Amino acid sequence: MSGGTKRIQNDPWWLRAGAMAFTLLFLGFAVLLPLVSVFVQAFAKGLGGWWAAVSDPDTVSAIRMTLVAALGAVPLNTAFGIAAAWLVTKHRFPGRHLLVSLIDLPFSVSPVIAGLVFVLLFGAQGTFGPWLQAHDIHIIFAWPAMILATAFVTFPFVARELIPVMEEMGTQPEEAAVMLGAGGWTVFRKVTLPGIRWGLLYGVILCNARAMGEFGAVSVVSGHIRGETNTLPLHAEILYNEYDFTGAFAVASLLTLLAGATVVIKLWLERRIAR
Amino acid sequence: MSIHIQNLSKSYDGKHQVLKNVSLDIPDGELVALLGPSGGGKTTLLRSIAGLEVPDSGQILFRGVDATRQRPQDRGVGFVFQHYALFRHLTVFENIAFGLRVKPRAQRLPEAEIRASVQELLQLIQLDWISGRYPDELSGGQRQRVALARALAPKPAFLLLDEPFGALDTKVRKELRRWLRQLHEELKMTSIFVTHDQEEALELADRVVVMMDGNVAQTGTPDEVYDRPSSPEVYQFLGDVNLFRGRVASGSFLHQPHSPDGDTTATAFVRPHDLEVDRFPSTDNSVPALVLHAYAVGPKVRVELRHRDSGQMIEAELTRDRHRNLGLAAGDPVWVTPKSLHVFQDGQEVAI
Repeated sequence: MSGGTKRIQNDPWWLRAGAMAFTLLFLGFAVLLPLVSVFVQAFAKGLGGWWAAVSDPDTVSAIRMTLVAALGAVPLNTAFGIAAAWLVTKHRFPGRHLLVSLIDLPFSVSPVIAGLVFVLLFGAQGTFGPWLQAHDIHIIFAWPAMILATAFVTFPFVARELIPVMEEMGTQPEEAAVMLGAGGWTVFRKVTLPGIRWGLLYGVILCNARAMGEFGAVSVVSGHIRGETNTLPLHAEILYNEYDFTGAFAVASLLTLLAGATVVIKLWLERRIAR
Repeated sequence: MSIHIQNLSKSYDGKHQVLKNVSLDIPDGELVALLGPSGGGKTTLLRSIAGLEVPDSGQILFRGVDATRQRPQDRGVGFVFQHYALFRHLTVFENIAFGLRVKPRAQRLPEAEIRASVQELLQLIQLDWISGRYPDELSGGQRQRVALARALAPKPAFLLLDEPFGALDTKVRKELRRWLRQLHEELKMTSIFVTHDQEEALELADRVVVMMDGNVAQTGTPDEVYDRPSSPEVYQFLGDVNLFRGRVASGSFLHQPHSPDGDTTATAFVRPHDLEVDRFPSTDNSVPALVLHAYAVGPKVRVELRHRDSGQMIEAELTRDRHRNLGLAAGDPVWVTPKSLHVFQDGQEVAI
């Protein structure tokens, strides 16, 4: 036995109690209290008030836009994540480390800046603006920019989950499949994909949660056109600014439910992966 | 010839040659060991035969047909990995069936036949009672047997095994070794296995290929390789050996531990069990030594000695009876005499 690990029971009781009290207090203050208040505010006018806010045409449109952004960005990032992780873990090529660093870029770039980049590229005064206008293609202040901005902000999630999973798997199972006569696609479908399935699902769930909750980047490119390019987070902000607190919190409660569902799926997946 | 390898060269980084112009013939139906220290190129050679590595130059022929540029899938070679490389998401049964199920539809056997041949292999590896388990639920020895059955399922022409027992403990390794030898007697399939364990190679193989520094250093039966190593390097790699420096004069070896450089041009190699230990010198070539330590290894006793003049360490192996009769104790002065020795001069063996 190595002497490096210390049994928790050996720590003095006041340290354990102190850490526990601080953790609980902070969790309660920073997480539980806001969570409860979201639902209290959302149902301040009863279930009917909540339902009225949620079924408002603008809210329904925001739900649709959120789904469009997520449905566009998540599959894109899933494909990108699998390809990038596969390249980085199973191959050695020049620029490999650069690629790994680039995958992390969205973590270090402010989402607002990311949104601005797209405006500078595709906006009316942007690099491709005149050409896009001449061909009547709308990217900024329309759904394509929403998907692009969301995709940019969320693209590390799947790749980041898969890289360690694929690294641990190594190349030998795939080589074994090749030696048994399997072609490239069969190897991917029958060996690689089943080997990474839980990690992949985990990454997709996180990516989806982040995509649906994204605010900064989409805020810049959406133009906040009510009933058209608003997503749920953007819509909640607008309603709040208009002093429609019940409406704002009802929309927020939808996002909170999404977060809750994500946590539950995440827990289940973590248990699967640990097996 | 079953497998014919001609002038194979390979470098991973363009600087260091892992395989240096290797040529080798593997006869039909033999169990061949690629033996050598790590970094000697044996695994690279094995993976090149499988098609998992592409050689820079040279040719690989399977039964006279050039396979150098063939895809690994098309080579008809079974491969067993050191760490088993089983498919963790599939049961033992489905692991073995994998090679049969991925065949193109036209060549694929009907489901009933697939099940029958998997069942047959499960009996062969004596694991039909755990066909429904997953690899994570098996012991190391069981995993390696499943990996072997999986490699055999598509009926390959050759079987390649990369350090097949490397990850197992000694007892399991011995059992599995004996079992593999038996299996080879039954199947008579041309097989090559890589090992760095000389005992394993000598015990298991029909033919041993010693690989060192990217070259084939020697090829021969286990006896040939062990009794008549072709170079000092092979001698040192194959089992414990004592070195005596000296020179060759009129057909005999003169042991000269203290001669100035240039004079000691020859090296004599003596296996510990070819050394006689006595209280008195028995020949001119007897060497004065001090007993340092003696310990029993099974039926033998190993004696560690030090040359009384040069301080060189010498290791001898005696029978228990002989050791008892001598009554050796630490610090005793004795004389050590080689019963047989091999002398090399400039890398060439010299007849004594």
